[in-house]
Amino acid sequence: MSNDAVGTPLNRRRVVQLLGSTGAGLFAAACAGPGAGSGGGGASSAAPSPAASGAKVDGGISFAHWRAEDKEVFKKIADSFGKAHPSADVRQDISPSNDYQSSALQRIRGGSVGDVFTAFRGAQFVDMAKAGLFTDLSDQGWRSRFDPKYIADGRSGGKQLGFPYQVVFNMPIVNKEVVDKASHGKAPEDWDSFLSLCDRLKSQGLVPIAWPGGEPGNAGQLFNSMVMNNAPSDDMCTKIEAGTYRCTDDWFLKTLKQYAQLRPYFQRKATGTAVEPCQQIFASGKAAMLATGSYDIAAVRKLGARFDIDLLSPITTAADKARYAGTYNATFILGVNSRSEHQQAAVTFVEFLSTPRVAGRYANGTKQHVSVKGVEYTDPDLRAIAPWLEKKTLPAPRFQFNDLDIRAAVEGACTAVVGGTSPEQAAEKAQHVVDQKRSK
Amino acid sequence: MTTHMLSKRISADTPRATHSPARHPRPGVRPRRGATRTHPALWLFPLPAVALYIVFFALPTAQAFQYAVTDWDGLSAAFNSVGLGNFGTMATNDDLFHNATTNSLKFLLVVVVLQTGLSLLLALLLQRNSRATSALRALYFLPAILSSVSVAFVWKFMYDPNFGLINQALDTVGLHGLQSAFLGNESAAIYWVALTQVWAHTGQLMVIYIAGLQQIPRELYESADLDGAGRWQRFRFVTWPMIAPTTAIVIAYTTIQSFKAFDLILGLGGNPPKGSLDILSTRIYATFTNSQFGYAAAESIVFMLIIALVSVLQRRAVKLTQRV
Repeated sequence: MSNDAVGTPLNRRRVVQLLGSTGAGLFAAACAGPGAGSGGGGASSAAPSPAASGAKVDGGISFAHWRAEDKEVFKKIADSFGKAHPSADVRQDISPSNDYQSSALQRIRGGSVGDVFTAFRGAQFVDMAKAGLFTDLSDQGWRSRFDPKYIADGRSGGKQLGFPYQVVFNMPIVNKEVVDKASHGKAPEDWDSFLSLCDRLKSQGLVPIAWPGGEPGNAGQLFNSMVMNNAPSDDMCTKIEAGTYRCTDDWFLKTLKQYAQLRPYFQRKATGTAVEPCQQIFASGKAAMLATGSYDIAAVRKLGARFDIDLLSPITTAADKARYAGTYNATFILGVNSRSEHQQAAVTFVEFLSTPRVAGRYANGTKQHVSVKGVEYTDPDLRAIAPWLEKKTLPAPRFQFNDLDIRAAVEGACTAVVGGTSPEQAAEKAQHVVDQKRSK
Repeated sequence: MTTHMLSKRISADTPRATHSPARHPRPGVRPRRGATRTHPALWLFPLPAVALYIVFFALPTAQAFQYAVTDWDGLSAAFNSVGLGNFGTMATNDDLFHNATTNSLKFLLVVVVLQTGLSLLLALLLQRNSRATSALRALYFLPAILSSVSVAFVWKFMYDPNFGLINQALDTVGLHGLQSAFLGNESAAIYWVALTQVWAHTGQLMVIYIAGLQQIPRELYESADLDGAGRWQRFRFVTWPMIAPTTAIVIAYTTIQSFKAFDLILGLGGNPPKGSLDILSTRIYATFTNSQFGYAAAESIVFMLIIALVSVLQRRAVKLTQRV
C-alpha cells in the first residue's frame, strides 16, 4: 500500500508525522485554559414556571441524590408523578453520601444525570452555585409552600436557587425513658447538670454517650452542640475560616476541655468506633444517647429500638448564658439543573415534591422532618420530636465551613482530645493547619 | 565446608542461575539491508491504541502539568498562573501533604516487606502440585477476588473496639492489655490498614511467585544437591536469583498498589479519612473535593514522581541483592 489508489505514498515517515501532528494537536488542546470548555461558572437562568407556561411535561428525568435509604419512598413518589404526567418519568441516580459530597458536582455538571439534583448545605451548595448548576427558582409561585426559616440556605446572590427539603436535628438522640428517669424528668440546662446526668447513667451500667469517633463525618455532629453556646457569635466557624477567631481562643479551648471531660462517658476506645456499632449499642439499650442526629432514628428503629426517642443537646454553659437549645440542618437542597434538557419536567417534579401531601408522604416514610409547611406528621417519632421545630435552635455550625480541610482540622482537634491529646496541643495543631490553608 | 567455599563450588560446577536470553535484534535497531521490511500499512494498526493512549493518558497528564501551575478551582472559567507556587507551598507550608506522604511511606514499607515476604513464603510452601496445596492456594487467593470495599467492611468490623472479633478474642483469653482502638489509635492506625492490605493481596502475589518458582529448571536443584547444598543454600544460590524478575514484578506491583490503596482507606476510615489514615491518594482526592484543582494537580505530579522514584530505587535494590 505504499502507493495507494489515491496516489499518496504511505510510508513509515508519513505515519510518524501523522502520529506526531495528532499528538501535538491534542497537546495544544490540553494547553487551552482550564475551565475553558463547557461547565465554566455562570449565572443561573430563570426556570420555566410549570403553572404559568402550561407546557407539556414530558421526558425522562434523572433525580440525583445521596439518600439510598429513601429510594423506595422516592420510587413511590416518582410513580405518582408518572401517573399525573404520563409522558414523564423519574429515574433516581443515587450515590453514597460521601461520594456525593466529593463528586456530584462534576457528574451533574456534565448534564447526563441530575435534571433534578440535591446539594448539601454549606461548601457543596456554594460550589454548585458558583459553577452555575442551579436554575433560578425565585419566581416560582409554589415557593411559598416552604417555611422561609428553612429555605434561606438555598439562596445565593439574592436568588432562590434551591429548596432545602429535609430538616434534621444534628444533636444527640436519647433513650427517653432512661434519660428521663436519670434526670428526674428535667433535661439538664447547664454543663454541670449534663455531667451529673452522665454520671448517673454510667452508675447504672450504661454507656452515657455512644459517639462514632472513628468516622469524622458522624463524629463531627457533636461539635455542633458543643460550640453553639460557647462561641461568642453564631457564625463562629465562618470566623475561624476567615481568621477572625482562632482555635487557640478561650472559647474553643473551653470546648476542647469539655470534650476531655466527656472522655469517661463515651463507649470505650471511642475514637476507633464507627457509626454502625454505636447505633447497635444505642438500639440495644446499652447506651443512653447516640451523638449523631435525628437522621439516625430510622436506622436504630430498624435495629430493634423499642423505646421512646427524644433529642437532647448538651448545654455547655450556665443556664442563663445558653442561647440555643439545639442545632438543626436544613439540607437535601433540591435544585433544577441549568443544563437539563427537560427543565419543564424537572421544575414540575420539584413543585410536586413541595405539595404538603407528597412532602408528608416523604417525611413519614423516611422519618425526616421537611421544610414544607402544613405537613401532617403521622410517624410517632416525628411527632415526638416535632416540638423541636419550634424551639430556639441554631443552624448546625459545622456546615459554615467552606474549606473541608479546615473543618476536618477543627473537628479533628476534638477527636484528638477524646483520644488523649491535651486541649492546648490539639488547638495549636488545628490552628496551624487553618493558618496554612488560609495562606494558600 | 564453609558457606563461602560452597558458594564458590556452586559457582564453578552448577549451571549459572542467570538468564541467557537468545540473541534477538534489539528493538529500535535498524535491521540489516535485505532483511524482511515492515509493510508500511502495518504502521496504521497501532493507531487506535495510540489514539486511546493519547486521549486517556497523555492528554490528562499534559493537562495535569498545565493545571499544576495555576490556582484553578475547577469551577471558574478564570484562573491565575502561580508558577511553581503550588510546589513551593507543598514543600514548605502544607502539613496535611507532609502527613499524607509520611503515612504513604509507612504504609508502603509495611506492605512491601510483609506482602512480598509472606507471598514468597507461601509460594515456597505450596509450589508442589497436590490436592492439598491446590486447596490451600485457592483459600489464600480468595481475598484477592473480593473488592476492596468488601474487604474494608469486613475488617472495619474486625477492628471495632467494642464488637470487633480481635478485641473480643483478646477479651476471651484475658489479654485485655493488648486490646486496642485500632483505627482510632492515631499513631498505629495506618499499620492496621497496612495489615488489611497484606491480608487481601498476599494470595494474589503468591500465585505470581508460584508461577515463577515452577519455571526454575529442576537440573539446577539437582546440581546444587550434588554439590551438597542445604535448603538455605539452595534458596540463596538457586531460587532467589532465578526468581529475580518475579520479585521485581511483585515489588513494583505492590509499591504501586500501596500508593493507590484508595478505596480500602476510604472504606475503613470514611471520606475524608482522619489525618492518621490520610495517604497521598486520599489527600489528592480531598484537595480536588475542596475545589483546589490546580493544587491537586500539583500534588498528583509530585505523587507520580514519588512513585517513579521509589520504583527505580526498588529495582536497583533488587538487582543489588541478587548480585551479592
